[in-house]
Amino acid sequence: MPEPLLEVKDLTVHFETEDGLVQAVDGISYSVERGKTLGIVGESGSGKSVSSMTVMGLTRAGNARISGSITFDGRDLLSASDADMRTVRGGDIAMIFQDPLSSLHPFYKIGDQLIEAHRSHNAVSKAKARDRAVEMLGLVGLPDPRRRIDSYPHEFSGGMRQRVMIAMALINDPKLLIADEPTTALDVTVQAQILDLIQKLQTELDTAVVMITHDLGVVAEVTEEIAVMYAGRIVEYGKSDTIFAAPEHPYTWGLLKSIPRLDTPRDQELVPIFGRPPSLINKPSGCSFHPRCPYVREAHKKVDPALEPTGGADPSHKVACLLPAETRRSLWAGLRTGDTPDEVLQEVEIPANKLSPSAEGQTGEEVAGQ
Amino acid sequence: MSGNRLRFLVVSSLAALTLFAAACGGSSSSSSSTSSKTNATPAGGGTPDTTAGKKGGKLTMLAASDVDYLDPGHTYYTAGEQVDGAMGRTLYTIGPKDPTKTLPDIAEGDPQISADKKTVTVKIKPGIKFSPPVNRAVTSKDIKYAFERFFSVNVGGQYASYFPIVGAPKSPTKGVKPISGITTPDDQTIVFQLQDAVAVSFAAALVMPITTPVPEEYAKPFDAKNPSTYNTHVVASGPYMVKNDATGNLVGYKAGKSIDLVRNPNWDPKTDDRPAYLDEIFIQTNASDANVSSKQVIAGNNLILDTNPPAAILKELVTKVKDQYTTVPSGGFRWFPINTTIKPFDNINVRKAILAGFDRNAARLARGGKFTGDLPTHFLPPQFPGFAEAGGFDGPGYDFLSKKNESGDMALAASYMKKAGYPSGKYTGSEQFLMVTANADPGKAQAEVAAAQFEKLGFKMKLRLVPQDSTYTEWCQVPAKKVAVCGAAGWFKDFIDPQSMLEPTFAGYTIAKNGGNNNLPQLNDPKVDAAMKAASLLEGDARNKAWGEIDKMITADAPAIPFVWDKTTLVRSKNVVGVANPYLALWDFTYTSIK
Amino acid sequence: MAAYIVRRLLWTVLLLLVITAVTFLIFYVLPSGDPAKLRAGRSPSPETLAAIRNQLGLDKPLYQQYGEYVWNIVRHFDFGNSYTNNQEVRTLVFSRLPNTIFLVLGAATIWFLSGVVIGTVSAVARGSFWDRLLMGGALVAISAPVYWMGLVSLYLFSDDIGKFKLLPGSGAYQSAHGLIDKGHALILPWLVLAAAFAAIYARLLRSNLLETLSEDYIRTARAKGLSERRVVLRHGLRSAITPIVTVLGLDIGILMGGAILTETVFNIDGVGRLAFDAIQRGDLATIQGTTVVLAFGVAIMSLVVDILYAFLDPRVRY
Repeated sequence: MPEPLLEVKDLTVHFETEDGLVQAVDGISYSVERGKTLGIVGESGSGKSVSSMTVMGLTRAGNARISGSITFDGRDLLSASDADMRTVRGGDIAMIFQDPLSSLHPFYKIGDQLIEAHRSHNAVSKAKARDRAVEMLGLVGLPDPRRRIDSYPHEFSGGMRQRVMIAMALINDPKLLIADEPTTALDVTVQAQILDLIQKLQTELDTAVVMITHDLGVVAEVTEEIAVMYAGRIVEYGKSDTIFAAPEHPYTWGLLKSIPRLDTPRDQELVPIFGRPPSLINKPSGCSFHPRCPYVREAHKKVDPALEPTGGADPSHKVACLLPAETRRSLWAGLRTGDTPDEVLQEVEIPANKLSPSAEGQTGEEVAGQ
Repeated sequence: MSGNRLRFLVVSSLAALTLFAAACGGSSSSSSSTSSKTNATPAGGGTPDTTAGKKGGKLTMLAASDVDYLDPGHTYYTAGEQVDGAMGRTLYTIGPKDPTKTLPDIAEGDPQISADKKTVTVKIKPGIKFSPPVNRAVTSKDIKYAFERFFSVNVGGQYASYFPIVGAPKSPTKGVKPISGITTPDDQTIVFQLQDAVAVSFAAALVMPITTPVPEEYAKPFDAKNPSTYNTHVVASGPYMVKNDATGNLVGYKAGKSIDLVRNPNWDPKTDDRPAYLDEIFIQTNASDANVSSKQVIAGNNLILDTNPPAAILKELVTKVKDQYTTVPSGGFRWFPINTTIKPFDNINVRKAILAGFDRNAARLARGGKFTGDLPTHFLPPQFPGFAEAGGFDGPGYDFLSKKNESGDMALAASYMKKAGYPSGKYTGSEQFLMVTANADPGKAQAEVAAAQFEKLGFKMKLRLVPQDSTYTEWCQVPAKKVAVCGAAGWFKDFIDPQSMLEPTFAGYTIAKNGGNNNLPQLNDPKVDAAMKAASLLEGDARNKAWGEIDKMITADAPAIPFVWDKTTLVRSKNVVGVANPYLALWDFTYTSIK
Repeated sequence: MAAYIVRRLLWTVLLLLVITAVTFLIFYVLPSGDPAKLRAGRSPSPETLAAIRNQLGLDKPLYQQYGEYVWNIVRHFDFGNSYTNNQEVRTLVFSRLPNTIFLVLGAATIWFLSGVVIGTVSAVARGSFWDRLLMGGALVAISAPVYWMGLVSLYLFSDDIGKFKLLPGSGAYQSAHGLIDKGHALILPWLVLAAAFAAIYARLLRSNLLETLSEDYIRTARAKGLSERRVVLRHGLRSAITPIVTVLGLDIGILMGGAILTETVFNIDGVGRLAFDAIQRGDLATIQGTTVVLAFGVAIMSLVVDILYAFLDPRVRY
């Protein structure tokens, strides 16, 4: 296996606030290879954005407690100086955001913003930077870029603005593009165009992409691998195909059930995930998903599940769930045919005390003592 | 005698407005001023020596506001008269030495008053010359013209009622018209024929700036304009003149900014008693902040302040600085008139009870305390003719208005109430008595104190707060409004004559039922009236004695609570030998000098 | 844009008409406001009053007086003559306007710059000792009355009555000649007038900047790898300062009507004192003149601000 472009190991990002310690990211590990795409999926507050911002060095506030390691292209980013991080940001790693209107400075022409981005990493003349900006705007499909370069952000449509953002992000040939909900604020038709564009550019420019979204539908087409995050942890990780075909975490099931899919029967109801994301200050004990999990047992509230290989066909597939593997598979088997969780529960018996093998060892005094 | 004989000094500085905004008679947001000399009263500085002064130097006066007018025919405020007094000479004047005496200035000697008190003849000194560009001797015709122009709309003289001359127009004339009652038999004589037998008070009024000579041939083109532009072309006859150019235009007068007085080269000291030590007097008329300018005067050199400093500075002056101020009586009294036509105030014993129990000290405190003036024991103010005759500071000796009950004597009040038929010593009626006052301090504060004094004796007071202006004109001066007590009243002299202080305010025959009434208590005592009629014909010491007696009689009637005899504190720099003008209660430029 | 400016100017004219009419009416409704009475001295005879009314044209119908008044303003910018000292109001106002402008623009420069610097430092160092010190100081400056502050500054620093004789004090401006001397004489008044404004602007800027710094486009700027300095100054401040420029314009416009207290304490012959004195004396002509100048100042400055805003914020188009 070649050395990955980005390797995140045991990354923990906590923020000290007046209300308490916010455990935004709580020990996650993932890696992205050159030119490849990783999807990070989760609800807002799951830590997916914070982890990416940390990669960018944008969470280095006074109240942030960061540990673990982030290795990018052979460099340790966590220990890099602020000045070094500045050269990485917008240089080798670029980022685009959810709302392209609010993410562009309303008072500056888009050309100036692109030029600024280019010139802050390359010692080139304004004219050269401008040529580069026009080139990039053309590349992202902005019509008549030579003229539109002197327009202000508010003069563009949402999709065009996101194209501008993408042009700005890619202007310095980054090795990694982090796209944080790049389509959420856009119309459905435009969403597809933007995703296509990202994919196209990724291939052309050989850029690795981390696609952050709450919408599994978005990553389905685009990414090779998917990490599902919940409450600051990765709860399931695997190849995209695996995640869609044989998901093993009840949260992933919930995500899948809550999006319309072409491969499920038409009359099948969309089932939203019950409850709300947990507070990151007072996380639930045991499996932090347990308050929302339809298959919860008392024991799940005491043991914190680790991310373990599922032992399935995909060797990279890992899950953090306390349900025994066979129970998980029977449950999914029911769910994928269109049954609701309630219906599935009628058919599959959830063992009260039998946990997944990795968790079995933890059920001793430690748990009892809690 | 219906006109207010009041003089008003506009005080426009903010601090002065808030601290001194006066509740004085009929004035609109103004503080009154005027009068007398400097020896009695607990003054610091005392009476400066008027004989020994060093010649030369430039004095700067910091004033909060401009003079009203430089034109001697138009000015009616003390600030204007202060400048005019240095610049122009009047028939008579009042020197710093004796504030009760009028002295001849342009006049050769005392006025000759005919036996029927209807003719006044004045001889004038030779050798008095107008300043450039007129440069000729002053004649009696110049004074005649000054009177005639006073009565025109163009000039707008403001105190015509003091001069009931035969042939004087009843309303202002368009353009200057001759007055038949003024004749000039020769260049050194002027004769006034009067409509009534009022020659004595007429003669006393000849100190007013109306008697400043105005050269007709020079002033005519200016007076032809409406309004007259003589105000910026005034020609001097006194020791000083406002810097002017060849045409007489006053280049030294910048309206609202400064007035620059320099020596009048044509002034001959031999014709004038005044020493005129200073070479130049610069008046800054926009020294807006009284706190700041007071401090500047105290800390600086060659500076004087135009009028009272703010209360805080006053305290500092009296207690710390000590030798840089002069106190002069303002020549007036502040009073709470009691409407003698309203029951039970028609009962003299009720009024005496009110006076007896009244805490005058507290009322004065509401105005700023002891620095603002003395506590009266009668009406004629200190150093005014008749003041001593009426009992001086100790008063005429009535127990209900004496030094002993300055803070009120409730036992004495109760005894008077018993005499009035209220055996409990308190008033037992349940009706409300209307008291009107200004809606701003100190008028408001002092009236609140006063109302409390009445309530001590069982009177239920209804205090009505109205705008400053209408306190007088719409309420207190209108008998039909049945105001029981006026909460913001004051009476200040225009010139030195006791009649002008007591007649409009207490003579029964001056009560004006339809408004504009100045006899606020509506006192109608035939004995007082008869005494006044008789006294108005007297002259000299007899006159002062008679009016002093009248003051006693009025006080015996207890028609009002006088609670402050105002005084003015004048501030100067250390190196200034300041001499106050007793008539204006302001610094006198012609006696003041620099060490 | 041109059409907008023309439209705005027309509105300004209308506004000025309304303002003159309102001052006119208020003055006539006020009981003490009869200028003839004010001019006539004490207890005038009815004849005197009538004569003065005639002279001042006060016996004409109100609409005619108003019409003539407005017509004179339009033709000659003539506000008539002061009722108290008979000077041309136009001359009075214009002789004082430069003083007020000098005072206000100098102070505005000081308060704007210091407000922006203090606000920025405070926002960037949010929650720190400096932030607390600066904002605490700002609160004091806002709460302190200008008049009191003026007196204290004079008692402390003026070269005549001060404890530490450092700077020219009250009245120095009037006797100063030449721009440099005058500027020197204005240092204390500038600081006093600017203090409260600077404090308000600092607080305003601080909260604006904090808000701006949490905007998405600031995150974008950081993600672009810009230096923090550039992020704050070029991206943050640029947005945070825009609303303050509007406020600044209006504040300057309003102060064209005079900074009465500062002008009073420091004895500066400005429009404010002219207006104040005129109000005290019931001098309608001068009150009108200064009011129109004030209204004019506000109207023009708000127009300037709106036009400026279009340049500052490209989203705004007229």
